[in-house]
Order: sequence, then C-alpha cells, then structure tokens
Amino acid sequence: MALTRLNRIVQLSHTVSLTRPLHGSGCGLQLGAATQTEAPMESPRAVFRTSESEPASHGEQHIGQFYTIPPSQVKTIFPHGLPYRFQQQIKTFNEACLMVRKPALELIGYLKKADPTHPSVRYVLYGERGTGKSLSLCQALHHCSLQDWLILHVPDAHLWVKNCKELMASSYHRARFDQPIEASVWLKNFRVTNERFLKQIKTSQKYVWSKREFTDEGRPLGEIVDQGVTRVKNASDAVGVVLKELKAQARPGSYRLVVGVDGVNALWGRTTLRKEDRSLIDPSELTLVHNLRKMMKNDWCGGAVIATVTQTGSVFTPSSAYLPQELLGKEGFDFLDPFLPVLVPAYSEKEFESSYQYYRDRRWIQHHTGHTEEGKKELLFLSNRNPAALERLCAFL
Amino acid sequence: AVRPIKAAPPGLTSSVFSDPTVSKFVNMMMEDGDKVLARSIITQTFESMKRKQVEKYHKAPATEKEGIECNPYTIFHQALENCKPIIGLISIQKGGKYYQVPTPLTDSRRRFLAMKWLITECRDNKHRRTHMYEKLSQELLAAFMNEGNVIKRKHDMHKMAEANRAFAHYRWW
Repeated sequence: MALTRLNRIVQLSHTVSLTRPLHGSGCGLQLGAATQTEAPMESPRAVFRTSESEPASHGEQHIGQFYTIPPSQVKTIFPHGLPYRFQQQIKTFNEACLMVRKPALELIGYLKKADPTHPSVRYVLYGERGTGKSLSLCQALHHCSLQDWLILHVPDAHLWVKNCKELMASSYHRARFDQPIEASVWLKNFRVTNERFLKQIKTSQKYVWSKREFTDEGRPLGEIVDQGVTRVKNASDAVGVVLKELKAQARPGSYRLVVGVDGVNALWGRTTLRKEDRSLIDPSELTLVHNLRKMMKNDWCGGAVIATVTQTGSVFTPSSAYLPQELLGKEGFDFLDPFLPVLVPAYSEKEFESSYQYYRDRRWIQHHTGHTEEGKKELLFLSNRNPAALERLCAFL
Repeated sequence: AVRPIKAAPPGLTSSVFSDPTVSKFVNMMMEDGDKVLARSIITQTFESMKRKQVEKYHKAPATEKEGIECNPYTIFHQALENCKPIIGLISIQKGGKYYQVPTPLTDSRRRFLAMKWLITECRDNKHRRTHMYEKLSQELLAAFMNEGNVIKRKHDMHKMAEANRAFAHYRWW
C-alpha cells in the first residue's frame, strides 16, 4: 500500500538505526502515562518536564525530560546558533524546550572534568541525519555559557563553502579569497553573544587595515569586531584577527574558550565556488576556512573544541555517509586525530514517549487519531524513532 | 470463472491519519500527475495553519483559549463547508437563446465547486511571489471565519440564482 510518499521523511526513517539497548526500567511508568486520559494533567506533565534549567545539574535521572531555556538567554547565547525548524518551534510554542539526552549529558560531563592546563580536547558528534547533533551541540554551548566561558559558535560551516554571492580576492594574502557578507554577519552575532569578553580582552599587536585605518596594540577586541562590521571589505581579515587573539590569550588563568562548529567536514571537503577562470576553489584558499582550521588544532589549552560532522548541507557527499572517517576524508581525519567521538543515536523508547507527550501538551498533535494508541504506533513506525522525522510528521497532523 | 480484482488506487492508504476529502483535494491540486508535490503543498498548508493558530493559542489569555481552533483538519472541513454553494446555475437552451437556470446541486458537485474555487482563487488572485501553501492557508483561515474571496464568490452565485428565479421553470427534471 502506498503510505505517505513524503520523500524526506522516508529517507530519514529508512536509515539503519543504531539505537542503544532499551532500558526497561522506565517503560512501565510510561505505559501508564500513555493510557491516561487528558483530564488528570499533572502526572503526565511530571514525566516529561523538569524544573532544572541548568544543564550542569542534569543527571541520569533527567534523561528524556525537557528543560526550558529562558528567552533572555536564547537571545544572547543563540542569536544564530539554533536550527531553523527549532527556531520556528520556539516561536510557535512561546518557549524554548530542549530534551536532556545521553550524548549531551556525556559531553557536559567530559567538559566538567577536563583539566584546563592540558591541551584542548576535540569532541566530534556524529550520527545519522536528523538524530539531534546540532541541538546537542547547542545544549553543550548553553552549559558553557552558564559557566561563563567564551563561546565561538559557527552555526553551519557549510554556508561558508557554498552559495557565496560576493567573493573577492583577499587584500592580505594574494592567493586567498574573502567572503565579506558571511564574515560580517558572523561578527555581528559573535558580538551579541560575548559582549562582556570583548571589553576585557586586549589586542597584543598593531593591525593595519588600510592606509588610514589601523588598530593599536592594547585596544579592546570589541574595536576589531566593530571594524569588521563597519568596513565589510576587511570583515574576513577581522575574523582571522579575532580568532588568532582568542587562541593566543586562552591561557588557564584567564577565560575558558569553547569553539563550537556545526558541519566541520565542510572545512576539509570541496566547495561549489569557482574563480573567475571557472576553476574550482579549494577550501584552504578561503580566508575564513583557513583561519577556522587553525582554531581546530589542539595546540592551545584552557578550553574545548566541539564539532559536528553532518551530511545535511554538505556538498559532494553521498547521503548514506554519517561516520567521521567518511565525511571528513583523509586530510580532515588526520588533522582532527586524536578526537573523542560521541555517537548521537535516534530516540529510545522513553525519549520517544517523552517527545510525544510534550507535543500533545503543547497542542501540536491535533489530529483526533493522533491521541489514540493506533496513531502513536503509526507515528513510531513512520518516524523509526528519528527525532527530525517525528517532528516533520507531527507538523501536519 | 474467476472474477477479475480491481487494482488499488495509488492514493489509498491503511493509515489512521488518511482522510478521503483531503485526498480528493490533493488530486484536484495535482498537475502533470505530480502527487508528491501536491501532497507536500497540502502538508505545508496544514503546518502553517496549525502554527498560526497554536501561536495565537499560546499567547492568548486563559479565557479565550477555548475559542481558538487549532486542528487544521477541522478548519479545513469547516472552511470547505462554508464555501459550498447551496444552489447552482445551469445553462439551458430554449428558443435559440441560452438561459442561466437555478438548480439544486448534488453533494459531490458542491464539494467539487468549493475545492475548485479555492484552488483557482489561490492560483490567480494572489501576489505572484507568495508560496502556494501560504496563499492556501490564508484563504482557508478566512473561509473558516466566513470572510474572503471564495465566500464572496459563493454569495455571488446565490444572488445570481435568486435573480434568475423566473427561469426556474425552464428546467424539466
């Protein structure tokens, strides 16, 4: 029988899921919650929500529960960080709720225990399409922000290697290319996230932008960011300067730096951009990519690098590839080696149940059969417990 | 002898979420046999309608929450009901001239006319740079509130039928 022929959802749910073995302890409680009617609202509510809004205090017992991020923190920490569909969800439900899941909890645990005097550890989140890598990254960055770290978040590195409208030759280096729009947009958002630090950190050398413009030694970093935003031509170089300064000054005594890059495989893949003589551009010939690669090296201490490898949005990669080795290629893997891989699986039984209850609570599942057992079984089957597939299915039901 | 068995139509599902009216609407929206595209437009329409209503629901104070309808399927069915004309016009030839004669319509004809008007209205009379799902969602929400161009067209049809009452006797069935 022809089931709903929505190609994306079929693609998402047909991938082989590597779910962790089911923990049966929570299931009994969930079954009871599922068969309860709408009238007693309090007991199902306690199952899938938690009042702990700090990721640092989340533990094993909070897995599968949703915690709310206050709107003020959403605006400062994630001006550009959250995936588009999640931003729409925040707007519709009037609240930003993230589910506490094992990969994010693991990552936050490692970050808490990491020694600031050792070189920075690189964590790589990998998993199939739509399993929640970007949101796990955002959760870890939320935790770091609440612990008062400096956040360097690149929401999607793939945007820097494709569909660039204005590509200009770099003034600083003859063989490289600049991307003024992307760089200035990123600088604006960086400024929103890290206002406090931009006043404290000072430059360590003089930077000359053009014949009449220069930034002295000892000026706050905020001036460099303003320079990049106002003079769009120098924006990419300003990004390079900011990255260099932050890396040089991230010692154990001063601030702690966390670099979060979504789609790090874009830095070592191929681009769709061409030069004027129609020859392809290598990623290393782009200023932004070149400077970001320097950040990904582990020759600095006092922070961490969290990256995601994703096939969504990447160019010239097969859609079945999700392992770091396949997506990064030989060059990227050798550069990032050694790193700590963190697998992000699809929802477990408990997490699926929790997500379903959350959608029902926020009045998202409106179809009358969506509230029955039959409907729930069908959702489970169609989405194959994939978070993105479930979200897209419930969107029109 | 063995009776031949009819093949199942491609739009038929065993899913609990399937709805025959929605399937008919999808078939009417379809062009060049591209059911995937038509279906995706309808699902996006339902999603955008639901988003607008749920956002209104969550922002409304507790007293008004009951009044806001969030279910896109009920909105679709109710909007379709509101657009269905009760009486239609038929062209009958008498004495060399053609007259527009009022006549009752069957249920399927009424449903067909309502869906046809919705789709043509969205295709022709809206700004060209808006997406089809946006146009459809605006039109459906307006029809749910008994406003909008499709409701106006239904009322025009009723007025024409009322005006041509005198010719009702030209119909012989």
